[in-house]
Amino acid sequence: MRHVRTILGGSLLLFQLVMIGYARFVPARYFCWAPYDIQTQYKLDVSVGGRTLTAAEIRKRYRRPKQGWDNRSIQHVMDIIQQYEETYGRNEQAQVLMKYRINGKEEQEWQYPAQP
Amino acid sequence: MAIPGAAVKPSWNPLRCGGTVLPTNLLLMAKLIALCLLLTNHVRQIPDPWLPFVPAFDWIGAPAAFQRVLQGVFVFSAIALLFNRWVRLWCLLLGGSILIGVISSKAYYGNNKTFCGLILFLTGLYEPGQEPWLLRIQFAIVYFGAGLNKLLDADWQSGVFMEHWATARLKNEVYMTIASWLPAMLLAKLMSWGTIVTELGMSAAFLVRKLFPLGILASLLFQSLLMLVSGTTFNMFFYATQAALLMFVDWPRSRWLVIYDGDCGFCNRAKGWIERIDLEGLLDWRTYQSGAGREHGIGDAEASERLYLIAGSRIYSGFRAFRTMLLFNPVTYFAMAILIAAPPGDAALYRRIVVAGLLAFFLPPLAPVGEWVYRMIARNRHKLSANSACATTVER
Repeated sequence: MRHVRTILGGSLLLFQLVMIGYARFVPARYFCWAPYDIQTQYKLDVSVGGRTLTAAEIRKRYRRPKQGWDNRSIQHVMDIIQQYEETYGRNEQAQVLMKYRINGKEEQEWQYPAQP
Repeated sequence: MAIPGAAVKPSWNPLRCGGTVLPTNLLLMAKLIALCLLLTNHVRQIPDPWLPFVPAFDWIGAPAAFQRVLQGVFVFSAIALLFNRWVRLWCLLLGGSILIGVISSKAYYGNNKTFCGLILFLTGLYEPGQEPWLLRIQFAIVYFGAGLNKLLDADWQSGVFMEHWATARLKNEVYMTIASWLPAMLLAKLMSWGTIVTELGMSAAFLVRKLFPLGILASLLFQSLLMLVSGTTFNMFFYATQAALLMFVDWPRSRWLVIYDGDCGFCNRAKGWIERIDLEGLLDWRTYQSGAGREHGIGDAEASERLYLIAGSRIYSGFRAFRTMLLFNPVTYFAMAILIAAPPGDAALYRRIVVAGLLAFFLPPLAPVGEWVYRMIARNRHKLSANSACATTVER
């Protein structure tokens, strides 16, 4: 039983060390202990079937506000939108435009689906 | 002499932490996290499966039922943990319910929740009689990951993040005033590099036993400063990181001797108050008139002027003795957790005042003030008491 505990606990720790290493190669920061490392101001514009969604509809769809601050990698917001649209919202052909500023620097844009 | 509470079966009293398979400090840590989870009504955040990290959670046919079960396990195990029975099981279930929430919902995912879940889960895996190295390495990994991420980030190296956070996000007037006196970005760079060095330094300190006290002090100050500057507890992060420091504390395994003046009514009353909250029976009170002080090299003249605490190989007196007694009493921590976590989330000013007050009371730099107050009380203790008790009537 003691070995099971050590292996289980050790695996959890090892997983985190791997994720800390993995985070050096990708923009996302999952399970690698990067809290409050980035301040991003963002604004979402979403349309479904040609109709623009309200702030309340956006919050319901993505469980986050239409605009505001995010204190982790902005890739996490992108992942939420992309994963939602490729799973639960697969048949709705949503168009998403996110404008964002990382740490107060120049404004950038991200779109879903990606434009060619 | 062994602590009476450690040898007997566990108590149902939630304020007690002795007598279980977990060491007192680990159980206290887990209970404090559980208490703060309950006080902050964290159960409302426990999610249904939604954009999970593990796709299998999307196959659950009844997401609302899944959420209810997870919430039920969360609340039941958090409450059950407080009552000192099957404590490792409740730690596993409470930590497990948070970790399942984290991997089942990207909306719920957050560093503070992951940290709470892991600390509780690893406490549940604790092997009796062993050092809690899994937990300690976990704590070190958190600071290592945080420090490394900042070290390799250009906006942290240049101070851009700190400048933007303090001015645009927090609108912190103290920061803006001090920054205006200095060359551009100097304060931001100093704070950024200070954070990086502190986080990486703490990750190393928490792996070396000799450096535990330094790590505890650094982490306590670092997290408190963040809380005081930003006004936020970062959800559960402030509570959990502060409680988790207990894993590095050598909690007493034998009783501590307290030498006091048995002919002083005020001292006897104070003894009564402290005994009432000494639920683990850590303190063994003896009057100096009984000669107990002389056995430890404390003369009657010295002992008649101030309280003495013999804590293993260390001897404290006066305010420092009083403070040490409080620091090694679980009731103190429960009181602090309730004071800080119970008010609603927007009570930032209140929380800042409480945290600043507690730091001032417990940290060494302001101990001379405490000593001065102690001396004033000690000098006038006979006036403070209407009727002094005789030593022979109060001797235990």
